[in-house]
Amino acid sequence: MFVRLLAESFRRQRRRKLLAGVAILLGTTAVTAMLALATSIGDRIHNELAVYGANIVVYPKAETLDVKIGGVDVKPASGGVNIKESELQKLKAIFWANNITGVSPELHLQVTGLDSAGRPYRAQALGLWFGHMWSEGGLRRTGAPSLHPWWKLSGRWPAEAAIHPSEYEVALGSTLADRLQIKIGDTFSANTSGALLEPLTVLVVGIVRTGDTTENSMLLPLTAAQTITGLPDAVDRVDVSARTKPEDAFARVDPDSLPPKQREIWYCRPYANSIAYQIREAIPSAQAEQVRRVEQSEGNVLKRISGLMWLISAAALLAAGFAVSAAMATAILERRGEIGLMRSLGASKTTVGLLFYSEAALLALFAGALGYLAGSGLAAWLGAKIFAGDGQAAGPILNPVLLPVVVGLALVVAIAGSTPSIRTALRMDPSSTLRMDA
Amino acid sequence: MARLSLLTMLHRSLVHRRARSFSALIAMTVSAAVATALLTLYADLDAKLHKEFRSFGANIVVTAADGMALPDDALARAKAAAGNNSLAAEFGYAVATTNAGTAVVVAGTDLSAVRRLDPWWQVSAWPESSTTDVALLGQRAASAIGNEQRVTLNYAGHMITLQDAGRIRTGGDEDSRVYMPLQVFTQWTGVRASVIELQIPGGAKQVEAAIANLRREMPEVKVDPVRQLVEGESKIVDRTHALMYGSVLLIALTVAVSVLATLSASVLERRRDFALMKALGGSQAQLMTMFLLEALVLAATGVAAGYVLGSAAAWAISESNFHAATLPRISVLPAVILINLTIAVLAAFFPVRVLRGLQPAALLKGE
Repeated sequence: MFVRLLAESFRRQRRRKLLAGVAILLGTTAVTAMLALATSIGDRIHNELAVYGANIVVYPKAETLDVKIGGVDVKPASGGVNIKESELQKLKAIFWANNITGVSPELHLQVTGLDSAGRPYRAQALGLWFGHMWSEGGLRRTGAPSLHPWWKLSGRWPAEAAIHPSEYEVALGSTLADRLQIKIGDTFSANTSGALLEPLTVLVVGIVRTGDTTENSMLLPLTAAQTITGLPDAVDRVDVSARTKPEDAFARVDPDSLPPKQREIWYCRPYANSIAYQIREAIPSAQAEQVRRVEQSEGNVLKRISGLMWLISAAALLAAGFAVSAAMATAILERRGEIGLMRSLGASKTTVGLLFYSEAALLALFAGALGYLAGSGLAAWLGAKIFAGDGQAAGPILNPVLLPVVVGLALVVAIAGSTPSIRTALRMDPSSTLRMDA
Repeated sequence: MARLSLLTMLHRSLVHRRARSFSALIAMTVSAAVATALLTLYADLDAKLHKEFRSFGANIVVTAADGMALPDDALARAKAAAGNNSLAAEFGYAVATTNAGTAVVVAGTDLSAVRRLDPWWQVSAWPESSTTDVALLGQRAASAIGNEQRVTLNYAGHMITLQDAGRIRTGGDEDSRVYMPLQVFTQWTGVRASVIELQIPGGAKQVEAAIANLRREMPEVKVDPVRQLVEGESKIVDRTHALMYGSVLLIALTVAVSVLATLSASVLERRRDFALMKALGGSQAQLMTMFLLEALVLAATGVAAGYVLGSAAAWAISESNFHAATLPRISVLPAVILINLTIAVLAAFFPVRVLRGLQPAALLKGE
């Protein structure tokens, strides 16, 4: 009997059910979309903030200081200590290895030689990765271009390997290219000032505008730089970009001063400080530091934007809750006559209450699930639309964690919204309700 | 007489069905509050975000021609050209040797200006602005200095001894430098400032305008944007802006449709009233006016309550998120009123159109 009543109610009062159902559907759609956006906003904004470049820098643990003014090495360190390029593989084994989104080793040197017109020149040079094979899964290729997205290239990035024995492709900073009057496609020779070995022949395949002093440099493949300096396997600086958690008070403590348990918690949180700490552990000859200009400010911006999204989601939740409650309340108020009739035919208050609550719950489950699907789709569409051109897969469209959350919220709101009206209706004398209606 | 009776009916209708009026009023208030809160936040978003981006520090660098110093009045001129709200600090650089014999870059600057310009520097203790013979040591530079309490530096035979005030930790070039007040630096080395770092609040447009202005006012120097900062900021502000826009539309639509559903349900439910009034001789137009007025009164009350609530919500959200209050904006009120009135009018018209075809007699008989 109860089930039949329930079924008939849905069959016969289609318009009323539809109205309340649409309210729940829209409410859950909005809430799902907002929550889905809010949960993914951290990663998305992090990808955007990648334009600021590396947030961790690794350099050799050495006594010598950089003597750099405005990006120009005033007194190039000679025979300094270097990090081994082969040791960078160890970064793949640190605890937060999967959070590393880019690695760019550098080797600074001075080159001399004859330009394409046969005039001698001297210039700064930088050995780099331009799309180095990093690992099979996850982050596949990495290098300087991905860590410096503001570099503007005409032409293409050089190939990593030599095109002929002792002939390499290179890119030139735009200022240097202007100074040497070299265009893409020109070849000339390059060597270090020590001239230990045969000079390299270099073929210019790209001109780079960087907006800073790198424009004065020649960018050559790391292997080429190591070859002409006679320092195989050496790098003197590594930029690392990692997905991090914004710094809080706990992130700033010195891990070695913490009790073991606390230290473990510190170690297992993706703070820039803990990732730097793990890099120092993996490569003992290196010193790793967070780049505070990037890391601190990124954390700030990230916190604000995702905080804003969460607060707006909360506001959306509240508003949708109110709107759905009001719709539910109206739907019940309309049916006071029905309640009076059922009561006068001998239905107990409990039965009537149960009937209405079941209706509300069924409606919430059904409309909530539909709203979850619609909202997930909407969030994916909005996300793709707004963050277009990131080159980053947005991840799965459906977030399974949200389903119980959203449907649960729909249930709570629908039941809470109907409660006051059901109670008022039940409190009224059935005969007076019926008479008033007649 | 007709007018008076209409008002009385309106009053009665609202007061006698208190529960129904109340739930409709809540719905209208919610829609107005949501619209107010989101529009207020949205209007203020760009300014708030640009403020956050100030923590990245300088976005324009002014450099003297190679090997030259900036003219004495450069800082004042740059500040004047860049506008009131900008922050600026000038730097002079020289390479000195420490008492341990290591070469180190020494920078002379206005430390209190740097403190404002570069809030991301982690400095163990900023020196008092009145003391002059102090130095801030970069954490890598500190390890190259023998006696850290009394920092002795040698520049081309001129010696200077400074008190160590604190450590700088940035993860950048600053780590290998020694910073000291510019005046003392110039007295000691004879080197004057050659770089001014400027920070212009705002996005790419403001920065470009400031650069054009600087290049016009100071043709003798090089003016460059810190490109990744300027580009990144514009990109992120634009995207957040779009995200907010999408959210605002989504939420507004949801609330509007829910409210519409509630209101039209409550009108539809009054078919009996409608039939009775029609049977007693009310014209279609009179009934329409009646329903419309009722909805408008609710909508107007909703706007008044919702504007206050929504402004409070916007204030709370931005206070807790940006630590800066967003004040209520009168300018969003027209949009809020328009949204609510549209909902009210739709909610009144939609059911009336449905009811038009009904026969009052049939309805009253209970068929």
